[in-house]
Amino acid sequence: MNRFDLLNKIQNILKDNLVICNIGLPSQELYKINDQSNFFYMLGSMGLSSSIGLGLSLSQNKNVISIDGDGSVLMNMNTLATIGNRAPSNYTLLIIDNGSYGSTGDQRTFTDENTSLKDVAIGAGCKNVVECSGDETANELSKAINDQNNSYVIISKINSGNVKIDPIPLNPITIRDRFRKFIGIIKYL
Amino acid sequence: MKISKKIIDNLKKGGVDFYLSVPCKLLANMIDILEKDNDVYYSAVPREEEGMGICAGAYLGNKFPCIMMQNTGIGNSVNAIVSLLQLYQMPVVFLISYRGTPGEPVGAQGGMAKITEDILQTLRIPMLHCSSENDLEKISTFSKHAKVVESPVAILCDFNLMKDDK
Repeated sequence: MNRFDLLNKIQNILKDNLVICNIGLPSQELYKINDQSNFFYMLGSMGLSSSIGLGLSLSQNKNVISIDGDGSVLMNMNTLATIGNRAPSNYTLLIIDNGSYGSTGDQRTFTDENTSLKDVAIGAGCKNVVECSGDETANELSKAINDQNNSYVIISKINSGNVKIDPIPLNPITIRDRFRKFIGIIKYL
Repeated sequence: MKISKKIIDNLKKGGVDFYLSVPCKLLANMIDILEKDNDVYYSAVPREEEGMGICAGAYLGNKFPCIMMQNTGIGNSVNAIVSLLQLYQMPVVFLISYRGTPGEPVGAQGGMAKITEDILQTLRIPMLHCSSENDLEKISTFSKHAKVVESPVAILCDFNLMKDDK
């Protein structure tokens, strides 16, 4: 199972929640599968999907899922400590761990060698850290969303590999405003 | 404490209700004030770039965020400022302790001090430079300005202004 297959499998779970999606192919694939206004596509700032989702979950009550990648989490690993100490119960971090920098040509990451993001997350103080296969991810993600009392970090171990895909045609202000409209913050549009 | 209290009061008057900090001894009093304030959210964060991401999320969730940091933190955050906060036009207040300005005892802080305003200028980030107590009155209007122009803004607080704020 690669990232595109996984996103297809979990799209029904994503569709009712606020989703922050990582820059590059993850966002492009999610856009292609089923574009929705409650998906915030990152067009820059690699590494910050987990942090953006954390800020969002601290600011309002709807469930938030940050979709991040192993390469991106390795770039901003300190945020696991902030999550471990501050994440509210409406926050779920889904790390799609394919051991590869997919958007830049599938170079190996350190999770394909010695690094375990599960161990890092636990060491950073995160509660409810789950490592699972791609097939188990939909079930684990549902459990995390339905648990009103706890935040989760899910590390989904899948294969590398990408589908051929175009950049997202939406401009950033469109992504921003329709997302905030979905939350109920703005009335126009 | 008087200066720090005035800064926080003016930020709150400007509508800022979500605060993060990466510590600096010049920010210590403000952190103390915020930790006891139940009207606003406050947390420490390990790194400024991450803080930019959390602020972006807070803005999406209808908060008006501020990150407090040393000027060195701007150097850690340039890509997040440009390709997140500015790309999506997100108002965030940077409250910056301006290390390396006159009065600073640590020579090594001078390097970032020399280029801080040039970096902010290059990024086209509006700046408010506070060197005396009177300047602090401008903070509330300046913070509101961030929302009007949908942009991050930077408030620079000089070393000498902050150092005796016991």
